[in-house]
Amino acid sequence: MFMKQTKVLLILTIVLSLLALASACSKAPDGGTPGGETPAAGAKKFAPKGNEGTISGAVAFTGTPPAPKKIATDADPACGQKNPNLSTEDNVVTNGKLANVLVYIKEGTLADGTKIGDWTFDTPAAAVTLDQNGCHYKPHVSAIMVNQKLNITNSDPTQHNIHFTPKNNPDWNQSQPNGAAPLSHSFARSEILVPVKCNQHPWMKAYVAVLKHPLAAVTAEDGSFSIKGVPPGTYTVVAWHEGGATGTEKTMQVTVPASGSATADFAFGEAATASGNPSLQMMPALDVPMMVRH
Amino acid sequence: MNRGVHRFALLLAGATFFLIIAGALVTSHDAGLATSDWPLSNGQFFPRMVGNLFWEHGHRMVATTVGFLTVCFTVYLYWEQICNWLYRRGLIRTATAYRGEPRRWVRRLGAIALGTVIAQGLLGGLTVKLNLPLVVSAAHATLAQLFFCTTVSLAVFTSRSWLKNHPTMEEQGSLAVRYVCVAAAATIFLQLIIGATLRHSATWDQPLPTDLLLTHIGGAIAVTLLLGTAAVLILLRYGSETFLTRPAKIALSLLAVQLFLGVAAYITRVASPNDPQPLNPMVGITVAHVACGALVFATTIVLTLRTFKVLRASAASFELATAERS
Repeated sequence: MFMKQTKVLLILTIVLSLLALASACSKAPDGGTPGGETPAAGAKKFAPKGNEGTISGAVAFTGTPPAPKKIATDADPACGQKNPNLSTEDNVVTNGKLANVLVYIKEGTLADGTKIGDWTFDTPAAAVTLDQNGCHYKPHVSAIMVNQKLNITNSDPTQHNIHFTPKNNPDWNQSQPNGAAPLSHSFARSEILVPVKCNQHPWMKAYVAVLKHPLAAVTAEDGSFSIKGVPPGTYTVVAWHEGGATGTEKTMQVTVPASGSATADFAFGEAATASGNPSLQMMPALDVPMMVRH
Repeated sequence: MNRGVHRFALLLAGATFFLIIAGALVTSHDAGLATSDWPLSNGQFFPRMVGNLFWEHGHRMVATTVGFLTVCFTVYLYWEQICNWLYRRGLIRTATAYRGEPRRWVRRLGAIALGTVIAQGLLGGLTVKLNLPLVVSAAHATLAQLFFCTTVSLAVFTSRSWLKNHPTMEEQGSLAVRYVCVAAAATIFLQLIIGATLRHSATWDQPLPTDLLLTHIGGAIAVTLLLGTAAVLILLRYGSETFLTRPAKIALSLLAVQLFLGVAAYITRVASPNDPQPLNPMVGITVAHVACGALVFATTIVLTLRTFKVLRASAASFELATAERS
């Protein structure tokens, strides 16, 4: 009797485990949940009027930046051969300027009294590329729109494994051997920011900002950025830099005049503050598609 | 006593301990998703073992070996039954003279071990397919420890020292050592669950959650008190009985090492988010902490089994219980 019960229990355990595994295997490989973000009720589609402006500036690093740490690549010699000086990228400072800072419009009011969240923006057809090159991600920080395609390429003579670990979007993990075709992924929900890692090479890190609008930029090596196509109005601009559990943010209020530009300078590091001197400059606005970085 | 069965059981327990180390290395290197497919790795049985794929696929290869050994061991236990079944159906000409394992309950334990290792393999696949959800990963780690203790128990039950006739002794004092050992084993198991959840709740570059960390430290205190009490009671009351004192001394020594490793693991793990990658000292110490935890659990199981074999309730407590019932 006991033997019969044990057999039944054993078979039940195996069957239930197989069922659970089968349901997991039938999960769609691509990310992007069917239940994506729904626009705010009454949201209108934004159409450029030709009077959009620009927010530009620079991000500085005050004080002595931490030295980059050298990465040991013994576990995968192909990485060391392609990139012998591989080191961390969390603080890339050149002549006191900080690269890889995401600057974006968080919220604000347009000149016509509407909020930025009242508008929906077209998702760019052009994809943004995230390349695994020299066993690190290029770019280190990028910004895309909700549902915009992100193309992931492997330019290294070794295998990578791209793993997004978002909070608002489904987890996504794919292996990518060397020479494999580009992978494509998109995010259905906005999120600041989605960490990216490689489970093959644990030092590899990147961040992808997923926004509902195209009004964002990432600072270049000289710390400069430029956000184009900004409707005239007053906005809360946020600069985000990695570090700690969730990164560090600085904010400031910026007013963009019609067909003009405003300056927003930020500073990170020791005793750093955000400084904003929105300036009125009559410069022609350029209507540009969503860019990866400045 | 079948020496072949006992040696095979020892081999299986040793291989399982090695597998626990291999699994811990996967977690400490954050290699659990180094390949997104299962059971093959990148579509291959033998992929190029570079980067973290070395740890992940290496772990799968060791797990496959342990699974295979478990199947062979179970067949070995049931050898007589299998041969008799084949003989009755005319598939073989003569019945075997080899008895395998004569005790039915030991054979059943072997079957349970086989079911457990199959479930463990499926859980491992599930963790990969679901991208390492915490509950599944922690369950996978916990079941590994349970399977290890099952193999250790099989080694104990098939050993010469277990089969030897031991004089039965009465429990001394008001606190029954057997039940203290059971409480210690149960607490260690709970501590293992907390530890597994803690390890899988944050990768090497993230700080450990404080609430779980404090719970794990509290668990360590509880384990120290219970296992320490059990071992000291055995050493004080049954000092001449090496059948009990040997595992008690080993348990105490391992407990001391585990506490030291716990502190060292905490120190290295706290610094880990500031490191560029999982560094060898952090990996080595955290893996050693997991492995030593498995040994503490296994030794406590051995101690508990042995106390139940040779100790009986004292006559005074039996009479008191009888009087209360009447």
